[in-house]
Amino acid sequence: MLKGWPQHLRALGAIFRKDLQVFMSYPVNAVMRILEPLMWMTPVYFMARSFAVDGVNIGLRAYTGTTDYVAFFVLGAAISSYVSAVFWGMGFALKNEMDTGVLESNWLTPAPLLVQMLGRSLFSLFLTTVNMLMIGCCVWLLFGFEFTGRVLPALLTVAPLLVALYGFGLGLAGVVLITNNANNIIDLVSNNITILSGAHFPVTVLPRPLLAISLALPLTYAYDAVRGQLLGTTTLMPIAMAQAILVAFMFVTVTAGLIVFGRIQDRCRQMGTLAHH
Amino acid sequence: MSRAMVEVEELRKEFPRRGKSRQDPPVVAVAGVSFEIPQGEIFGLLGPNGAGKTTTIKMISTLLKPTSGSVRVAGKDAIRYPIQALRHLGTVLSGERSIYWKLTGRENLEYFAALYGLPARVARQRINALLDRFALTKRADENVERYSTGMRQRICLAKALLAEPDVLMLDEPTAGLDPQSARNLRDLIREVKSEGRTVLLTTHYMEEADQLCDRVAIFDHGQIIALNSPGALKHDLDDLNVLEADIARWDDAWGAALQERGAVNYDLRFDETARVHRLTVHLNGHLTTGEAVTELVNLGADIRQFSLKSPSLEDVFIRLTGKSLRE
Repeated sequence: MLKGWPQHLRALGAIFRKDLQVFMSYPVNAVMRILEPLMWMTPVYFMARSFAVDGVNIGLRAYTGTTDYVAFFVLGAAISSYVSAVFWGMGFALKNEMDTGVLESNWLTPAPLLVQMLGRSLFSLFLTTVNMLMIGCCVWLLFGFEFTGRVLPALLTVAPLLVALYGFGLGLAGVVLITNNANNIIDLVSNNITILSGAHFPVTVLPRPLLAISLALPLTYAYDAVRGQLLGTTTLMPIAMAQAILVAFMFVTVTAGLIVFGRIQDRCRQMGTLAHH
Repeated sequence: MSRAMVEVEELRKEFPRRGKSRQDPPVVAVAGVSFEIPQGEIFGLLGPNGAGKTTTIKMISTLLKPTSGSVRVAGKDAIRYPIQALRHLGTVLSGERSIYWKLTGRENLEYFAALYGLPARVARQRINALLDRFALTKRADENVERYSTGMRQRICLAKALLAEPDVLMLDEPTAGLDPQSARNLRDLIREVKSEGRTVLLTTHYMEEADQLCDRVAIFDHGQIIALNSPGALKHDLDDLNVLEADIARWDDAWGAALQERGAVNYDLRFDETARVHRLTVHLNGHLTTGEAVTELVNLGADIRQFSLKSPSLEDVFIRLTGKSLRE
């Protein structure tokens, strides 16, 4: 038997492959998952065009310094997709396995639970990346947009956010374990956080109470900094400071997520609430 | 004596009552059970539904934390070091949904082999051998959702044997299977024992426990009320005669009358197929078989047929608890 990292990597690969196989066994659903984001983006583009004056989105330029709403929106949607991918990838997959009765079978193997949880998000992340690349290409071909900045520094800004999301996702998965409710919790957390963080609009348009909440969410600085780096928008604070906030957020959420998930799975083992099929 | 592969000591599990206040006493699912299973033995946990068998097996398999007590699997403390214990354990839980129905049998085995940490080459060899052994090779590349219940159970068993565990645990392995599939599965379990593995199974079928198990622990209300080989348990009933009679109509007063005349106890169930009441009466000499039959006829019972039979584990359970396993 393999042990340590070779065992973990083999388990991660197997979970990814299993999720891909299950995904492909519902072909219509698979096609829709790829096409749906594009269908959501199209009306947004035309709505943005209708608000433009002589092709220039004056209001957006006043708030952000850019007039390219499509690029502004695509970037927001990309980051939001990864937030959803991690949250749904962990929480929903866990709930699904509880409902179908396979969760206990998985927990009866010597693969550590954290590896299993991480594995459940991998396919979701892969699918999101495929989605994003496809949408990026389609939107670029159909509607056109332009990144003025360099991609690599922006990816480095996003990296700690992604790790932080895993911490958050772990905590959320723990809550799903104990409440046996995935859809409402994940929807509530994922949608509200991304909306308030400025996934679709500059947060400076928000009224003061909501702006205060938005500024308290580290995700806001991820949207803001990445747009600043790639589109040259006016940022809420210097990009280096936003990056520092994201790194701090990463440490806090990963630590908290591990503690919450550990405690909750321990409680589930005490209560015997792993299977609800 | 062989090395103990499963050691359970004073194992206890309490659950808080749902919707009750903290002051209410908890539900005691397992009330401090102890047993040891040596290598190469088939050990059965026998008892009615809700007796604590599955809770015990879940605690041994690390899915459930005991309130107190200890569990060791192949010498590893399963409570403190679950992952180490799981390396020695293969478990098949009850129900068919412990595998992915949208994957093929082979894909399921490949997936779980990876989770057990088997290198890919070793996994491939073992999967082919197990598919062959369990007569699943021809259907290995079909989705599990197209399998019969018996085939699904065999894939689950193959999954549990992937890592060649020292201990195989089976929770109600033949529940829901047709008689032929159940017989085949029991043969496979005997094969597993012949390889020197330890088998721990739960069942509420006394014939199954009788045929398969080297030793049986009879559970009732979370406690072990008897533990021995089926033969020894039945031997304890040597003084007992068991009368079985099919009766068209039953009156509870007849049972009371039999006990008043000296029957130890009786059990009654309705046979849906034959549309008769099947009465089992335990007699120990105060009332002879002939006297019991005469008494029933005098009371007005329409006896279709009757026979004397050897005591079974069911009779052991009735003797110990005063009730049938099906109650």
